[in-house]
Amino acid sequence: MTFAAASSRLVGSRINRKEDPRLLTGRGRYVDDVVVPDMLNAAFARSDIARGRIVSIETTAAAAAPGVVAVLTGTDLNPLLAGPIAATPTLGMGSPGPHKVLADDEVRYVGDPYAMVVARSRAEAEDAVELIELDVESLVPVADYTTALLSDERVHPQLEDNRAGGMVQPLDDELRTLLESAPYSATDTFVQNRYLAVPMETRGIVAWWDPGRMSFDIWVSTQSPHDVRTVTARVTGVSENQVRVQMGDVGGGFGQKAYLARDEQIVILASYHLGCPVKWIEDRRENLVAATSSRAERATVSIAADQLGNILGVRVDHIDEVGAYPMAGSAAMMGAVIFTGPYRIPKLSFSTDSVYTNTCSRAPYRGPWQIETYVREQAVDSLARNMGLDPIELRRRNVLQRDQLPYLLPIGLSLDHVSPAETLEQAAAMIDYDGFRAWQRQEFAAGRLVGVGIGLYIEPQSAMGPYAAEPAHIRIQPDGSTDVYLGSGSHGQGIETTTAQIVSENVGVPFDTVKVHQGDTGTTPYAFGTGGSRSGPILGAAIQLAARDLRSKIVEIAAHQLEASPDDIEVTGGVAAVRGTPTRARTIGEISRSAYLDLGALPPGMEPGLETLKRYKTDMPFLFSNACHMCTVEVDGSTGSVRILRFVVSEDCGVMINPSVVEGQIAGGAVQGIGGALLEDFIYDADGNPLTTTFLDYLLPTASDVPQIEYGHVETPATTPGGFKGVGEGGAIGAPAAVANAVNDALHLVGARVREAPFSPARIVEALEAVGR
Amino acid sequence: MKPAPFQLHIPSTLEEAVGLLSQHGEEAKVLAGGQSLVPLMALRLARYEHLVDVNRIAALQGIAREGGWLTIGAMTRQTTAEAHRDVALVPLLHQALPLIGHFQIRNRGTVGGSTAHADPASELPAVALALDAEMVIHGPAGGRVVPAREFFVSTWTTGLKPDEILTAVRYPVWPGHCGFALEEFARRSGDFAIAGVACGLEVDQDGDVARAAIAYFGMAPTAVRASAAEAALVGSPARGADLAEIARLAASNTDPGDDIHGSAGFRRRVAAHLTERALERALRESIHA
Repeated sequence: MTFAAASSRLVGSRINRKEDPRLLTGRGRYVDDVVVPDMLNAAFARSDIARGRIVSIETTAAAAAPGVVAVLTGTDLNPLLAGPIAATPTLGMGSPGPHKVLADDEVRYVGDPYAMVVARSRAEAEDAVELIELDVESLVPVADYTTALLSDERVHPQLEDNRAGGMVQPLDDELRTLLESAPYSATDTFVQNRYLAVPMETRGIVAWWDPGRMSFDIWVSTQSPHDVRTVTARVTGVSENQVRVQMGDVGGGFGQKAYLARDEQIVILASYHLGCPVKWIEDRRENLVAATSSRAERATVSIAADQLGNILGVRVDHIDEVGAYPMAGSAAMMGAVIFTGPYRIPKLSFSTDSVYTNTCSRAPYRGPWQIETYVREQAVDSLARNMGLDPIELRRRNVLQRDQLPYLLPIGLSLDHVSPAETLEQAAAMIDYDGFRAWQRQEFAAGRLVGVGIGLYIEPQSAMGPYAAEPAHIRIQPDGSTDVYLGSGSHGQGIETTTAQIVSENVGVPFDTVKVHQGDTGTTPYAFGTGGSRSGPILGAAIQLAARDLRSKIVEIAAHQLEASPDDIEVTGGVAAVRGTPTRARTIGEISRSAYLDLGALPPGMEPGLETLKRYKTDMPFLFSNACHMCTVEVDGSTGSVRILRFVVSEDCGVMINPSVVEGQIAGGAVQGIGGALLEDFIYDADGNPLTTTFLDYLLPTASDVPQIEYGHVETPATTPGGFKGVGEGGAIGAPAAVANAVNDALHLVGARVREAPFSPARIVEALEAVGR
Repeated sequence: MKPAPFQLHIPSTLEEAVGLLSQHGEEAKVLAGGQSLVPLMALRLARYEHLVDVNRIAALQGIAREGGWLTIGAMTRQTTAEAHRDVALVPLLHQALPLIGHFQIRNRGTVGGSTAHADPASELPAVALALDAEMVIHGPAGGRVVPAREFFVSTWTTGLKPDEILTAVRYPVWPGHCGFALEEFARRSGDFAIAGVACGLEVDQDGDVARAAIAYFGMAPTAVRASAAEAALVGSPARGADLAEIARLAASNTDPGDDIHGSAGFRRRVAAHLTERALERALRESIHA
């Protein structure tokens, strides 16, 4: 009885992660752990200039080097391409054609691959790469995205200009008048630095075309194994049932591994071409320079309020950089959708440009549209300062209250089931906002600069197109153990654990008997992949639907076998029993055995077996979660360095499947956001040369650079089955705004302000010196 | 990130090692803890046909007190030195060691390796320079001793010849009423310093500064002494010295470069701040010593 009670409360419990014993003791199996017979190793020859015309590529010496099996160039592989190289959901977006995997006419960024060596070992492959002679004629690169639209140079010469997309919207007269005539307003240009996903496990693939079986076996570090199969089939021309993709354990993706890049496709084509297994494990330098990049954008925001501090309208002029071969391009449109976020703002005008440059390609990164929160929250602070209000006071006057929901966003979308006011107040109470203000004055009198900052936001989970649906397949084996097959998989989110929690609670089987299988196209149903914070709301809903479906069948069988009404059957802890008569019971194993082996014991007409496959699809275009980040910082007035004193997050992700997993997601995202605001900056010089190509210069936050994050929870259930909402990306969305505002709150004490990230010591000192400090 | 092919030699005696270096000349490099050399080779920013691994040479290990000197064998691991009782006799070294990289790096990194690598932003060359330490060197012609002031030439360049090995560093134990302080500024703990300073002060019976050493790291192509500021301090009363002014003088006489972490002006500002703080600490300690 106690066991049953415990198991019925599994959703919402802080149960330890199933995957941790394996991952924490070094027993995870990643793509580099895959070794197959006669496997070869690949290394790329990559451009070391930002832009140049390829005159010739001489490979004779490299081909003759020890251990080398093949040296492949665009001439070898590009003609083999049977279809477009873009990932399926991004077909028609991002890079313009013609599609090529290896550069054969022009190199377009430092790191652009133009040849690949396949050799017995990676070391021999790298030795041979040095022997490839590239004759390249330097061209003037498009290195600065802010002037790319004015440049005479073209990243892609077949295009009219360097515009990759966007939505250029002139400011209409009504809003212009409103912004100009409002009693209070603020206009600022905020610059966000280019920062990177930096997964702990770099990208990697083993591709094995077996000419005997006429099939591909692919192991890859990815977020989307089924799309890897689809892309493999498309670019090689084989059919999808000739391809099996497995993802194993994946050491972080953050969006970088959502789509299969050119690099992996080259390896796939090489294996197909050579008829043997080829492994490529990206090294750290390649990952920093040539994988993907993100953020790198700026926005000018004008915001206005009436006499009482009611925000009247906002205008945003945004531009972002998508590099040379963007994967999915810009997410600015999503930013436009959610720009007004947690506030009542009746009017919004949002204009955006995306531009190609001769730099590494943009890809999604944890909250790809995060610029909206980043600049909105700083603009709200600007407006508050101009009004002489505390930033929290202006927010209190404009934040959406529960009784104002559903709220029609200016973009025409309905926002509901969120709690921005509650999270704002919970975070303020946790950090003792008023107490901090008093302490701040006291410390300033003693010569210290401390500040507090807020990042309040709504986090949308897109459910448009293929994002709307996810499948879950559950099979109870004859011994009563349960297998769950998911087409999308975890790259660190703890999905093995949260899935087992939902299944255990909703089927009524013990947590420990549930095994979760992910990311193997040979055994799991087709799924779009893990991304967009959809594993909670959409996959979670699918798992719950499947689990309840299976439970119904168990109840039906048990009722038949126990001669009771299905209404009287309870299933908990792996036992189906007649309510009030625990001696009249069948274990799940007994029921399952009969479902497969003792078919006569099944109710008449029932289909044998104990398994189900369910797909959940939502009809809503977006699901919404929300949170408030608040942090306090100290700025060193001599060196400009920033120390975070406290960091508080109040989060509403609906029903929490496992609060520890939720907090882990928040922590990881917040640390990435803190890193982006204070440390991380991928810098190119004026000629498009990357300057931060190792961890000596590309500064990630370490454990000693980040504070203990404090969590508060508000639970507003979603209307989806289970009531779960997304929480994977929010940490990275809210943290940079909170840090930026806290730093500027401290600098405001002496009249200084920084509008460009990262908030590095040098940049802060520059602002201090500008006010004579 | 695989190094270009090289041949690894693992001699067990100093003579054997020097012989290998003589034989291979510029194509050979000494491998000590490998914490700088190995990443440089993996990135193929440095390449050598021959590596002479001196990790097995017993004569390069150990820490010894001799008269007014503390001698540290070049291959002594930084963590070993950090934990050694006698290293407290040289307070600047004692303060510097925990600031070198992270503990995993110090477990492999050696006192001699870091000193001979002569990275302009690393702590140990500045400590040696501030204290007027001596470099004990062995080559084909036998041993020689070079003062720190003559040893550090430029970035990653020292007075060592290709066939010579730094076998030990001799640190003088300053007598009298002394105080020492090392301050550095880095973006994260464990990073190379953007600016750093090692200060040593001695105060005489009358309360005047008898000896002053201010050595910067991260502020020039090599560790440098701030001679003008030192001269301004020596002979003046320790109490009441205008340390802020001396720190400004010291920092203004440096020639740091601009890089992505900050301009020369930013470095000088930070250096002046660090110097003032270090001088204050060193002075307080020397008065109470």
